[in-house]
Amino acid sequence: MSKAGRADGAGGLDEIRLELPASPEFLRLARVTATGLASRLGFTFDDVEDLRLAIDELCFALIGHGAEGTVRLQYRVHPQALEIEGTLTGPIVEPPKLTEWSDQILTALVDEHEVSGGENQATFRLLKRRVMG
Amino acid sequence: MAFDADQRAELRLKFAEFAETRDQNTRNELIEAHIGLAEYLARRFSNRGEALDDLVQVASVGLLKAVDRFEPDRGVEFSTYATHTIVGELKRHFRDKGWAVRAPRRMQELYLRLGKVIGELSQELGRSPTIPELAAEAQVSEEEVLEAMEAGQAYRFASLDAPSPGGNDDDGDTMGALLGADDKEMAEAERRASLQPLISLLPQREQTILHFRFFEGLTQSEIATRLGISQMHVSRLLARSLAQLRAAAEDN
Repeated sequence: MSKAGRADGAGGLDEIRLELPASPEFLRLARVTATGLASRLGFTFDDVEDLRLAIDELCFALIGHGAEGTVRLQYRVHPQALEIEGTLTGPIVEPPKLTEWSDQILTALVDEHEVSGGENQATFRLLKRRVMG
Repeated sequence: MAFDADQRAELRLKFAEFAETRDQNTRNELIEAHIGLAEYLARRFSNRGEALDDLVQVASVGLLKAVDRFEPDRGVEFSTYATHTIVGELKRHFRDKGWAVRAPRRMQELYLRLGKVIGELSQELGRSPTIPELAAEAQVSEEEVLEAMEAGQAYRFASLDAPSPGGNDDDGDTMGALLGADDKEMAEAERRASLQPLISLLPQREQTILHFRFFEGLTQSEIATRLGISQMHVSRLLARSLAQLRAAAEDN
């Protein structure tokens, strides 16, 4: 894991990068990194749990069909939000596509979400804002 | 699990009919007729630290796939075919969990303790607590709280019917009442998402939770309050239901 951004807020966001084999058994690391950052941002337990479900849902869209290769995750820490982008690199067997159901779930879980894919690369992006109770 | 000759003949006819018509009622009858097989196979995997109920649901997904894919004119008995599919589904379930399943005992215990702390803090604060607040109250680090949340998801030691950590699980009457009111809306939304057969395989409580969270937009805490179960229990049931729906939808 590397920290690519700067923490002093001088013109940039903190950015954390994580690269994983495209296999479900490593999804845990994607979640733990996200929840660690969300916790630092002051997300509530509810929001952290929603974030975990959203990551599972989006990662499944990316690698759920027996993908091979590598998933690169970028976590951008905004002042009041966490943005996560996942990129699968390798031959894309099946471009990620959200079912209507997945789409509805994600709408409830996070503020923004999208997936897209081409021949050699597929990505998802989510953004979840902190809600102050 | 064994059928007599008459029953076998009747089932063969039903499979032939289903192959022809793909009728949903026939499909449900076939699933129901073989649910015992799913339960039997799930039990064979139940000594690996997971609640039997969870495994039965995984096995049911396998059964559903088997019913959908079975080709009666291939000359293979359905039970043989289904056993392969169901065992495959169970094996995949364990494989996908990987090393997350081996959560340390200390984390399992913290997870159970946190359930109680979350309930108390939510009541005190009038909102869902933050992770630092939870850590302070439980006198552990933030990392330990997050680790325990992961452990809770990977490791479902509590059966669905067992009391949830920190919650009073008295939902016998409430559930029926809740479900009655929402049936129509729920059915419509499901039909739209064409997930009806998959969702209807889930226990009623999970169906209600999915409905509240995704069709009515209630938060996990609000659902916990309405159902009288702990927030952690809601979260665990949600995560599991979604994973099961994903697994089941994968090949459709």
